[in-house]
Amino acid sequence: MSRQNRQGRSSIRGPQSALTDFLASHNISANQIRLDADARRRAAQNNPDQVDPNQQDDGSSALPAAPADTPDEIPAGPAQAGPSRPRRSAAETSTRDDKRKKEQQKVIDKIKASKKFQKRKRNADDSEDEDDVARAIFQQRSAPLPGQMENCANCGKRFTVTPYSRSAPDGGGLLCTPCGKELSQDDDLPKKKKKPVPAGGPIGRRRQLQSNILDGTYQPGSKSLTTLCIETLAKNIDLAGDLGDLPWPVVDKIARKLSKHRLLNTTTLDLFLQPTAEEVYIYDGAKLSADDYIRVFQTVANLKKLKIRNAIHFKDEVMDYLISRHIDLEEIYLHGANLLASSKWHEFLHAKGQSLRSLRVYWTDKHFGNDILASLPTTCPSLNRLKVSHNQEVNGDGVKEIAKLKQLRHLSLDLREHVHSDVYVSVLSEIGHDLETFALSRVPDLDNTVLDAIHNKCRSLEKLRITDSEVMTDEGFVRLFNGWENRGLLFLDLQKCRQLESSKPRENPDNVGLCSNGFRALMAHSGKRLRNLNIHACRHISAAAFEEVFGPDKVYPDLQKMEISFCEEVTDFIVGCIFRACPNLRELNVFGCMKVKDVRVPRGRILVGVPNAVGMMIEGDDDDD
Amino acid sequence: MAANRDEPSKYVTLISNDGFEFVLLREATVVSPTIKAMLRDGRQWREATTGRCEFPDISGAVLEKVVEYFQYWYKNRDKLDVPDMDIPVEICLELLVAADYLGLDSKPPLPSHGA
Repeated sequence: MSRQNRQGRSSIRGPQSALTDFLASHNISANQIRLDADARRRAAQNNPDQVDPNQQDDGSSALPAAPADTPDEIPAGPAQAGPSRPRRSAAETSTRDDKRKKEQQKVIDKIKASKKFQKRKRNADDSEDEDDVARAIFQQRSAPLPGQMENCANCGKRFTVTPYSRSAPDGGGLLCTPCGKELSQDDDLPKKKKKPVPAGGPIGRRRQLQSNILDGTYQPGSKSLTTLCIETLAKNIDLAGDLGDLPWPVVDKIARKLSKHRLLNTTTLDLFLQPTAEEVYIYDGAKLSADDYIRVFQTVANLKKLKIRNAIHFKDEVMDYLISRHIDLEEIYLHGANLLASSKWHEFLHAKGQSLRSLRVYWTDKHFGNDILASLPTTCPSLNRLKVSHNQEVNGDGVKEIAKLKQLRHLSLDLREHVHSDVYVSVLSEIGHDLETFALSRVPDLDNTVLDAIHNKCRSLEKLRITDSEVMTDEGFVRLFNGWENRGLLFLDLQKCRQLESSKPRENPDNVGLCSNGFRALMAHSGKRLRNLNIHACRHISAAAFEEVFGPDKVYPDLQKMEISFCEEVTDFIVGCIFRACPNLRELNVFGCMKVKDVRVPRGRILVGVPNAVGMMIEGDDDDD
Repeated sequence: MAANRDEPSKYVTLISNDGFEFVLLREATVVSPTIKAMLRDGRQWREATTGRCEFPDISGAVLEKVVEYFQYWYKNRDKLDVPDMDIPVEICLELLVAADYLGLDSKPPLPSHGA
């Protein structure tokens, strides 16, 4: 609106705005509204109880304002004073200012005498001037009431004061809604950061320690510098813009640490996408969207190895994009991508299967079935590693097809559908000779014929896993390990291969499961090379067998981790023998071994699961011998 | 720090690229395989004879923190439940690069070394 309008009705008028015309047609005068508003403002200014602190600035410079905010307030003063100021003469203003100053001083004196002031003075620093405190209270009181217009102390914009308007941090004036929001955001951040106080007290520390032990990340003594740095980095990952040219193993460790804290999201993903890289390992993709996955393929053009866990949003469109790009993956590892349709798997394998050497698929519900396994021999001729885990669709018909994968070296299956032992036998007889990994999880019906097939066919096996079998017998395990023309295994997991008979739990007339003789045979065959042994819940191994296997003349130099939980016959003496016979054993699990009571643990070793009041672990504090 | 030819000094000197020198116990530096290899007696590296290791890629601020870590590791090497050392956020990445170069990432060997 033009300036002339403001001068009053008698003056020359410029062109009117559309709004003024519209209001005039409804018999409302825009000028009247403006005059009323001016009058209200003046009334507010002249009322000494509601003196606006910003207006004080022109007369008295005594009011304190934080130096940082002073420049912001400068535009506020004149802008507000503008409409009413020309109407006063200079003398009038000065007398009014004097009067106002006097009144203000009176109020401040009153404040100084009040209880609130005394209380606040006690809390305040000694350095704070008495007058300053009083003035701060004065300013608080003199803030405009809700419904009035006010200039924001920060940005200088005019806004309507509401009961929710925040006062400026320095106490001078109020803030408009956007500025107030910003301020409260700033306030919240430090509050949130303060929250994760390290668990205090002995209990919190012990809990953290045990958590680390169960995670397998615990080690006696101090943490490595790399670990310390990575932990610091993970805590402050929002500050990191670029990881620079850190070596791959370190970047991978950072990725793992971030995923553990569920910090991998759209923003932090960028840290791990290096255009020159050949691998992308995403350990927790739960917060990533389909677009993020597409971005992976856009950024990393030479991608060869892809691993994504919790790849919920790895959907059809992502697979379409991958198929359309010139990316020939060698390894793909997808965990939890159960929105991916079966047809997309087919398309992918047909388009990109030629280069594929490793295919690992976890938790895919029903979308990865027999037909896909059947297509593998033609679509993926060089497939070397195959893992199908937590799969509800594949059954014996699909497993049969695996026998045609002549290049296969590593095979792991964890299926929900029943597959007869004969199927596995036929697979082993075809490709067993070169297999290095053979892992079957949760196979309650698997019988001795499979063990015999392994004995007869497998010559390169290094990792063997057969869990939960309720049919295999001790005799079967003895036959497997005795005279087996396979080098010693590095990894053996025979978890829960035991008899399950609830009516007579103590008796085991047929020696079902891994028992004493099988255990002796396996340690005689593989003991020298074994690194990791799991005989969890093989509860019919006798104390005599343990004592013999870990006898005084036996040494198992490579054994690093052993799980003998729920082997009932294990005693303190046997645990001691194990630590003596396995000089490099770092961790021994003895959950549910009720005869382990008070055992001396050599320094630097970890014993988990001792059933005593200390809790579940004793960490070695005794010196060796 | 004149190293005796027959009996190597108990102390070694680490030098940063901007000329800061840190003198610390030789035993505290063995946690780093890189420094350990530099100072090994058998080979006649210059570092082994003089007991002085120069790090042209590590700045004084970072090397100071590394040295602090060596002392921290040495002090806590036999203890359980060690409090974490404080890492300043601003040199975190540089420190990470240095730690990687010095091989400070693997688990230390078992104290009993298979006895």
